[in-house]
Amino acid sequence: MPKKYHIHPKATPLELDYIYKFKIVRGENCINCGKCSKVCIYQAHKRSEADPRKMADPNTVVCRNCFRCIQECPRGALEKSLDTGYVNTGGSYWKADMLITLWKQAEDGNVPVSGAGYRGPFTGKGFDSMWTDMSEIVRPTRDGIHGREYISTSVDLGRKLNHLAFGAERQLISKVPDTVDISLPIVFDIPAEKLSSSIKLAMVKAATELNTFAIMLVADITAEFEKHIDNIVPRLAAAEIDANKEIIKKARMVSVEYDDTLLKNFAVIREKIKKISHALLIIRVPAVKEVEYTASKLARDGVEIIHITADYRGQELNSSAGSGSRHLKDIIRSVHQRLVEDKMRDEVTIIASGGIGLAEHVTKSMLCGVDLTAIDLPLMIALGARIYEEREKYLVLPEGLASIPTAVLEQRMINLMSAWHSQILEMMGAMGIREARRLRGESGRAIFFEEIDKDTFGKLF
Amino acid sequence: MKPSTVNIKVAPSRFKHKVPKYKITRSDACINCGTCAKTCPYGVHERVEGHNKVKRPIDYKCIGFECQSKDFYCVAKCPRKALSLSLNPMYETLGDFRWPADMITGTWIMAETGHVPERTDIEYNIGNSGGGFDKLRFKFPAHPKKVNKSDISTEIPLNRRNDGRANVVISTPVYGGGMSFGSVSLPTMVSKAHNAAMWNTFTCTGEGGYPENLQPYNDHVITQIATGLFGVREETIQRVKIIEFKYAQGAKPGLGGHLLGEKNTESVAKMREAVKGTSLFSPFPFHSVYSIEDHKKHIDWVKEINPDALVSVKVSTPNDVDMVAVGSYYAGAHIIHIDGGYGGTGAAPDIAKKNIAMPIEYAITKVHKFLKDEGVRDGITLIASGGIRTAHDLAKAICLGADGVVIGTAELVSLECVRCGNCESGRGCARGIASTDSELADLFNEAWATQRLTNMYNAWNEQLIEILQKFGMHSVKELVGRTDLLKHIDYSHETESL
Repeated sequence: MPKKYHIHPKATPLELDYIYKFKIVRGENCINCGKCSKVCIYQAHKRSEADPRKMADPNTVVCRNCFRCIQECPRGALEKSLDTGYVNTGGSYWKADMLITLWKQAEDGNVPVSGAGYRGPFTGKGFDSMWTDMSEIVRPTRDGIHGREYISTSVDLGRKLNHLAFGAERQLISKVPDTVDISLPIVFDIPAEKLSSSIKLAMVKAATELNTFAIMLVADITAEFEKHIDNIVPRLAAAEIDANKEIIKKARMVSVEYDDTLLKNFAVIREKIKKISHALLIIRVPAVKEVEYTASKLARDGVEIIHITADYRGQELNSSAGSGSRHLKDIIRSVHQRLVEDKMRDEVTIIASGGIGLAEHVTKSMLCGVDLTAIDLPLMIALGARIYEEREKYLVLPEGLASIPTAVLEQRMINLMSAWHSQILEMMGAMGIREARRLRGESGRAIFFEEIDKDTFGKLF
Repeated sequence: MKPSTVNIKVAPSRFKHKVPKYKITRSDACINCGTCAKTCPYGVHERVEGHNKVKRPIDYKCIGFECQSKDFYCVAKCPRKALSLSLNPMYETLGDFRWPADMITGTWIMAETGHVPERTDIEYNIGNSGGGFDKLRFKFPAHPKKVNKSDISTEIPLNRRNDGRANVVISTPVYGGGMSFGSVSLPTMVSKAHNAAMWNTFTCTGEGGYPENLQPYNDHVITQIATGLFGVREETIQRVKIIEFKYAQGAKPGLGGHLLGEKNTESVAKMREAVKGTSLFSPFPFHSVYSIEDHKKHIDWVKEINPDALVSVKVSTPNDVDMVAVGSYYAGAHIIHIDGGYGGTGAAPDIAKKNIAMPIEYAITKVHKFLKDEGVRDGITLIASGGIRTAHDLAKAICLGADGVVIGTAELVSLECVRCGNCESGRGCARGIASTDSELADLFNEAWATQRLTNMYNAWNEQLIEILQKFGMHSVKELVGRTDLLKHIDYSHETESL
């Protein structure tokens, strides 16, 4: 049996306000009878400490929407509504409910559980237009969720051989390339927003604790980060390689930005890095139209890892808004398909990022064809960041974050990843898949809306 | 048709106030003349003689914007223009895409009165999910065959195998889903069984044992054998007419059950033959079933123990659900019960509810077709659940190919569930429906709950009969698989009409 992978969550409340959904207002006709405090099982209603003859303002942060105070107040004096903070935060992709659930997962590391069935739309865009399969009676593996300690979420990064070659003496003559093994199919992509070094340090330390990586602009890798270089991927432009030899030398992986000249100069750049270190090379490619062409070329040229980055809502970049813009899910499927057709898919590692906001997006991305994902904004939400989409992306970090110890920030990111890890295990257990490596491109274990709808309703109506 | 055992009686809300859809605002311009109190026939306004202010309007009694055309519209009548009407912000906090506030309100009215709402301002048949049932519409013929409502049968047989076992017939093609002892309160569980007896249909124990209080209704109880085998004994299998194997459930397809230690109280532990206070796991899947052949052994075993009972097989909706259904037919099952991914009442990981397994609408279509192609459709009863919210969903499910449906959430909504979703946290259900907390479980009695359920079943049955009448049919059996009577608004170019 492989060594078990454990993440250690720890309840870590952040003493900062976050978004809450409901707001209750006590009307002037309240007679301070205290009925609400008796019927509320969540202690939203209490008597005022200063003057116990009066009721205090409702503590609606704890409200779970049971309607009992509303329905039982003898005077009908209580009114509930959606809180304006809830209504105004987020957008069409990063919905306020998503922010709240990520925040809660960061508090305790638990899998979100609720009763009364699913409450969302039937289907949606992007990742919401697919379901994952499960196995009922006949299943590929028999471990289900209760062999979950032995479901492995490890993936490896690097170039792999298409086949092994043997010499006349039956000796192995292929040189097996180095790979890097991480325990979660997730790496951290430190966002471009201006962040304090305490937040970046927390991200790096959390990545270290989780046995994964943080991708970080090379300029940000100051002395205090160097001792964590084993879990940092320096990110730089090809022109910056010479100036950063010392860091590249120590790194296990290096991420180089793609640009128009890169394809032409690829061999030179690779040689240059090879001379400096053994680091695996990631080419960070924006998810523009025809990115599959770029991926195919890079794979042919021998690149080890391709990192495809969509925008923060998982949309294709530089495309005119509207119909032409693909979602990350479809970009991944297309890139994967292209590399399969080129008979090179098994040789390269693909990372996808942009719009990965929930644990389910990780599993679904992998089913669509990537080896692993990179995340940024969920880690910020774990720290209480709010995202606004209108008119443009706007990330607001809470005031007072500077005074929170790095260890707390780190633990909250670990908690979030613990919750995601458990959720990925739930999905894999249901699918009967024990190895995260086997999720890649396993579209037979996915149910795509367009396909099933066409296959059933399309034939009838 | 409703059995003679069914009595419809008004069963009002247990709470003082209902959840209002509209809001009447009274401004400072009010001079306390009392015109509004005199004009409103619904009692929204109340003026007490001697008080210097008219009371705050009772919003939930207001019928809303359709009142604008009435000559008693308070806003128009007020001499000082002090009143205004708007949607109540509170209403937005009730419900969700699948169960919008109108659908919950409509179900409450059915449970209270036994009939569909008279109000025309609430859409109680279609949700806002934007897919599946919510996009399907009936194509009623302009000139249907004339059929009297009293001649329309809603009965369905559950044994279609002709294997000499009991010919169980239910009076309405709906029965109650499995909710285990421990997950819902005893009054909830017993009232479900009592109602099933009145309606000559069934309810299910869920996994977790067979409480004594259910024994008066043995003929209307399905006992469940689930993967943990909790509470399964020979006598529980022998006392019922239907036994259900639960392979999986829609709320958490592919995942096991987990009863938290703190919910495993003395009585729960006794029922489950377990140690009090320990967490109880129902593994996934049956560790004794590796194939359809093993599945047959299970069914043979239970048929041996109870030679007269029918066997139901409950599965969720993976891609190969159609194959599982055919396998279950050959293994000897009488009922294949498919539970779609969007349903369920019990606590489940959100990630499972949303993402794992397909919605029931697709699964019914696939399974019905596959059973038909295999030539065995007439030998098995196909029951659908997991997202059947309304009488229209029921009729649509039957058109897609089901014989009948199982409901869970709709029953709980009848008992005034608000779908807050906090069934499991802390002390459990704040409204006493899904709680074993001694204080909370006492919030209503069984008689009230039974009446609410009976009323809701009646309103559904009336709607089903009306649909059958509009199609000119004599029996609900004629509706099975009639997809030609449905249209999908994404695929039809006709304009939207109900």
